[in-house]
Amino acid sequence: MNRTKSDASTNLSVQSIQTFKRFTVWQRWEHVLLLVTVLVLFLTGLPQKFRTAEWSHQLLSTPERIETLQVIHHIAAIGLGIAAVYHVGNTIYLMIKRCLPGDMLPTFQDVRDAWQMLLYLLFIKKEKPLFGKYNFEQKATYWFVFFGISILGASGLILRYPEFFTRFLPGGIVPAAKLAHSSESIVLAVFILLWHFYHVHFERLNLSIFTGWLNDKDMSTYHTLEYQRLARNHSEASEPGEKQS
Amino acid sequence: MVKLFIHHKMPYVLAIAILTVLIDLFWALPAKAEAIAQETENYCLSCHSNPEIEHLSLPSGEQVSLYIDPDILASSVHSPMGIECEACHTAITSYPHPQIVYQNARELSRSYYLACQKCHSNNYDLTMDSMHAQVAEGGNLEAPICTDCHGAHDVQIPDEPRTLVSQTCGNCHTEIYSQYQLSVHGSALFEGNPDVPVCTDCHGVHNIQDPRTTQFRIDEPELCAGCHADEALMARYNLSADVYNIYQLSWHGVDLSVYKARWPTIWHDTAICSDCHGVHNILSAGNPASSVSEGNLLATCQQCHPGVDPNWTGAWTGHNRVSLERTPFVFYTEAFYTTFTPYVLIICGIYVILQIIRTTVERARRSLNEPH
Repeated sequence: MNRTKSDASTNLSVQSIQTFKRFTVWQRWEHVLLLVTVLVLFLTGLPQKFRTAEWSHQLLSTPERIETLQVIHHIAAIGLGIAAVYHVGNTIYLMIKRCLPGDMLPTFQDVRDAWQMLLYLLFIKKEKPLFGKYNFEQKATYWFVFFGISILGASGLILRYPEFFTRFLPGGIVPAAKLAHSSESIVLAVFILLWHFYHVHFERLNLSIFTGWLNDKDMSTYHTLEYQRLARNHSEASEPGEKQS
Repeated sequence: MVKLFIHHKMPYVLAIAILTVLIDLFWALPAKAEAIAQETENYCLSCHSNPEIEHLSLPSGEQVSLYIDPDILASSVHSPMGIECEACHTAITSYPHPQIVYQNARELSRSYYLACQKCHSNNYDLTMDSMHAQVAEGGNLEAPICTDCHGAHDVQIPDEPRTLVSQTCGNCHTEIYSQYQLSVHGSALFEGNPDVPVCTDCHGVHNIQDPRTTQFRIDEPELCAGCHADEALMARYNLSADVYNIYQLSWHGVDLSVYKARWPTIWHDTAICSDCHGVHNILSAGNPASSVSEGNLLATCQQCHPGVDPNWTGAWTGHNRVSLERTPFVFYTEAFYTTFTPYVLIICGIYVILQIIRTTVERARRSLNEPH
């Protein structure tokens, strides 16, 4: 899992930084697609949600503009749909192959970690709990976004094809979908701005989802258990010639 | 001494003199006017009250009766007020009368009714802005003029009884009138209900506008709301006064409000009250024959949403506030987003704030502990 990037251009090895592979290239592209489509969906959805507001009126100054906005919204939704289907499909495929990494699954340890973290934040404990590959904050992000997009996707489809869905579902789901789509979008936006942006931009700048790598210091500080596990595995399976930091 | 006396009494004498003249004027004027009116009317009626009076032959071949029933004239609004024949028949001041120049009876009517504006200039001006005036300008001389609705020699107070208003419109708009008579509004009107709308309540009186325009369509829900959002009025009939408010929050209502605010001249098909409830034939929503009754609602929806299945009608929340019984899906969704998710977000917020505090304190401690 870990790899060493060293200054290989010269024979004089001055400094080496150990980095840890955190995301595959597919996962990184998935995140880019997710980011772009969610941003477009949010920005094109907002004027539709607040259609009676003055700023929305100014933006959507002709009926054709509403249509254009909706077309953009639908194209972005197709993009997000592809990302979601790929993600879920890939997960199912890995489950069938019985090689799904369980790091992202919520466990009882996360509840204990959250409790310990709370005690730390309230100055009751001096030390933070130690985390594995994904801490409970990151798991919360993943699952909140997962369910948020599921709700938005399902309700969005109902709103796009209400005639089709009422063939076999009660009509009451249509106004419920409208309410859910409208509310969940705001809930998800607030959550991302509040929770995700704090943790990846303000607490520390964590760009590993774009680069795919996490450096040695961050890995040992924030994902200590995973770092120790890898170090253990590494020393056990170390081969001659492999660089150790 | 005498001089002084007169000088002293002069104002009183003058005042009494002026008062006497004024009282005399007050006393005399109406009496004189009435006398003149009666004289003129009686003078005219000396010939025109004769049922045998010769008909007026017009070049078109039409025969116009010149007979005036004195009883009808006496029971009109104008005659008892002393408004004389020549107030309207301005060209006729003597006998023999001047030559009639009209080609046909309609031309005669359309000429004589212009006299109405002498006294009723406001209402006359309003009619100039009406649908009826537009039709006349377009060449249809059958378009109604004052006398067609109000009558001529038999002119009455137009809304006594109130049914008279709709009956008057019904003289020409027969089909709509017969629909209206069977409607929830019309049938109540003829039972003596004073609250229900007559034609003019929705269409206006003198400046009646074309109800088929985009402007009329876009304003229509507000027109209905004039009564249907009136809580005191609706309470009398056990009807909800929230129908308009809830409509405004609905998909249709929001759509309409956007068009109303931005593009009032662009025709838009989003549903307005009359699209579902009907117009002149409107029935109580509880009436099985109503277009929005349980049995007919699907067909009504299908007018705009062709081919939808019976479940579709469940998508319509029916001018009702969200409730567990009527709209369980919306109820639970609303409950989820009002009682659950806000707390999740609040907890997230508190957690982040605690983290910011803890991190700041930790950093401060570290920098203090660092050897300088």
